[in-house]
Amino acid sequence: MFRGLWRRSGKKRRGRSKKAIIITFLLPELILLITFVLTPIVGTFVISFQTENGYGPDNYYKVITETSPDKALVLPKNIESLRPPPWGALIHNIVWVLIHLPLVVFLGLALAYLLHEVKGSSIVKTIIFLGMVIPMIVGGLLIRFMYDGTLGVVPLLFKTLGINSLAKTWTNYPQTALISLILGSVWLWTGFSLTVYSAAFESLPKSYIEAAKIDGASGLQIFFKIVIPLLKHATIVVVVMTMLWDLKIFDIVYVSTLGGPGGSSNVMALVMYLYFARALDYGRSAATAVILALITLIPGAWFIKQVMKSGKEKR
Amino acid sequence: MARVLLENIVKRFGRVVAVDHVNVEVRDKEFMILLGPSGCGKTTTLRIVAGLEFPDEGRVYIDDRDVTDLEPKDRDVAMVFQNYALYPHMTVYQNIAFPLMIRRKKLGLTKADIKKKVLEVAKMLKIEDLLDRKPGQLSGGQQQRVALARTLVRRPKVWLMDEPLSNLDALLRLEMRAELKRLQKTLGITTIYVTHDQAEALSMADRIAVMNKGRIIQVGSPDDVYLRPSHVFVGTFIGSPPMNTIKCVIAKSNNEYILQCSGFQRKIPGGELAGVRDQQEILLGIRPEFIDVYKEPVPGGIKAKILVVEPQGSEVILNVDINPGGEETLLKIKTKYTAKYRTGETIYIKPDWTKISIFDYKTGKSLA
Repeated sequence: MFRGLWRRSGKKRRGRSKKAIIITFLLPELILLITFVLTPIVGTFVISFQTENGYGPDNYYKVITETSPDKALVLPKNIESLRPPPWGALIHNIVWVLIHLPLVVFLGLALAYLLHEVKGSSIVKTIIFLGMVIPMIVGGLLIRFMYDGTLGVVPLLFKTLGINSLAKTWTNYPQTALISLILGSVWLWTGFSLTVYSAAFESLPKSYIEAAKIDGASGLQIFFKIVIPLLKHATIVVVVMTMLWDLKIFDIVYVSTLGGPGGSSNVMALVMYLYFARALDYGRSAATAVILALITLIPGAWFIKQVMKSGKEKR
Repeated sequence: MARVLLENIVKRFGRVVAVDHVNVEVRDKEFMILLGPSGCGKTTTLRIVAGLEFPDEGRVYIDDRDVTDLEPKDRDVAMVFQNYALYPHMTVYQNIAFPLMIRRKKLGLTKADIKKKVLEVAKMLKIEDLLDRKPGQLSGGQQQRVALARTLVRRPKVWLMDEPLSNLDALLRLEMRAELKRLQKTLGITTIYVTHDQAEALSMADRIAVMNKGRIIQVGSPDDVYLRPSHVFVGTFIGSPPMNTIKCVIAKSNNEYILQCSGFQRKIPGGELAGVRDQQEILLGIRPEFIDVYKEPVPGGIKAKILVVEPQGSEVILNVDINPGGEETLLKIKTKYTAKYRTGETIYIKPDWTKISIFDYKTGKSLA
């Protein structure tokens, strides 16, 4: 349709009218993006440098060196002596990634591989995917109940096993609060990784696996030498999305422990929220937000690089 | 030595019987082609030999060893897939070396041994220059050669191929036919090859097993299946254009058989047809190229009217009606392009009566 328009407009005017069409199509999106994405980002950045006496990096300094457990990003003493949490919100986020990411990747991959040719596996997949469907706020509450000393399934399990030290309300103790949230979030997020890997398995030509079978490979050799390399793109998606989710984690923590007890399950996004809504310190809240954004940029940039690279390979 | 024996193989997928009591023996060093239309069970049969499918009934033997329940890796077979199935994340070298690498310890090979073998097979298939590339950077013909190299690098007992040429363009396909046949003969590997292309089967096979609806209809040399089809299906599936079939009735009197067909009658010498009843309905099979064409009336010639002329370069295919004026009886004739033929022209045709086939009309089985 627009080609027709260009033709009618004649050769001389073609260049100008093409530009006009591009601008017409881009303008609505640009206006929306500038109003709702770009302006808040720039605004946050500016606010993070605002202090009582003009502009400066004070907020960043204070946020990073904060030592009160419910707001600290890093508590070096506690980490060094390996005492139970709190270790600081940033460290908690990193611990979250270190435990949650491998578990989610492994569980998603293993379940997808085991279930991909099983009859009725879609029922199992749907149940696992439920964790993704329910709102994270509800998920957080469910986690709280799961670990509750009188109602919860986890303490009950340990009670039956006779391990009484773990038959308590996990979220109430600094030693167990963080790990209980991390393990709970595995359940909430595995559906994502399972779904991505299942889709990848569907699109994997069977003949690769069959060829490997005839070439003499065992089940494990096929899994490690053929399946895993061929699922590389799915793995990149799962790893990056999980890392971003882990770094931005908020709602689960907010409803189940609110970072407690004593800041032992605190995370970056919650610190940002507490500065903003409780302390009404917008400068520090903005500084925390910028730090969090810069950290999430690392996996984000890596992901974009991988996507560009695979695009080139295909060509 | 490698002989493959399929004994009473049955394979069902749900209610569908994909392979129906197949019995076939592939001799040592033989090039056996399973030929049939799509869905006839030929690929399933091949996969049963490979160990990718397990039969519901029957046994599979390789060299008198019962391999029916063995995994593919324990059968010492190699298979070329229709889409080649080259591992996209490995280089050509890694692809070819894969079957040896994963059994390195078992076979007691060093990396140098493997390299020697890979280079050897790459040289044989003229792909030495491609070893560092990834499959995605290769043309269809090159991928095919890599796939062949991967199967040949460990000199399997049995070489299986599932329509390996169907993804190549026409010219390359003709070239590869001859090359594959030569490779197979030089290496002397027992080969089972699946195709739906009858020309491919006729040109490459030592023997052809023609399949339809899960059953083997005929096993024989290319000449056997072409000239002496045991079933009307074989006659009409093989050949381009396929065999003409005309419905006729046999009149039997005093050891004489008279074919009564629409458009003509013909006496055939007695004693040739066993177990034929008087007035039995039969199908007369005549290959298009075994019919002579005359412009003028000849003794024993059948009058025919040309409906369509299809030039084929050096040859021409004539679609004629041998019963002009009566019920239309169509025949295809393939003849040298020596005379000019026009639509609507009347010609006289004379089949080579020594090369006809006669099939029972109801069962389709050969009577001659």
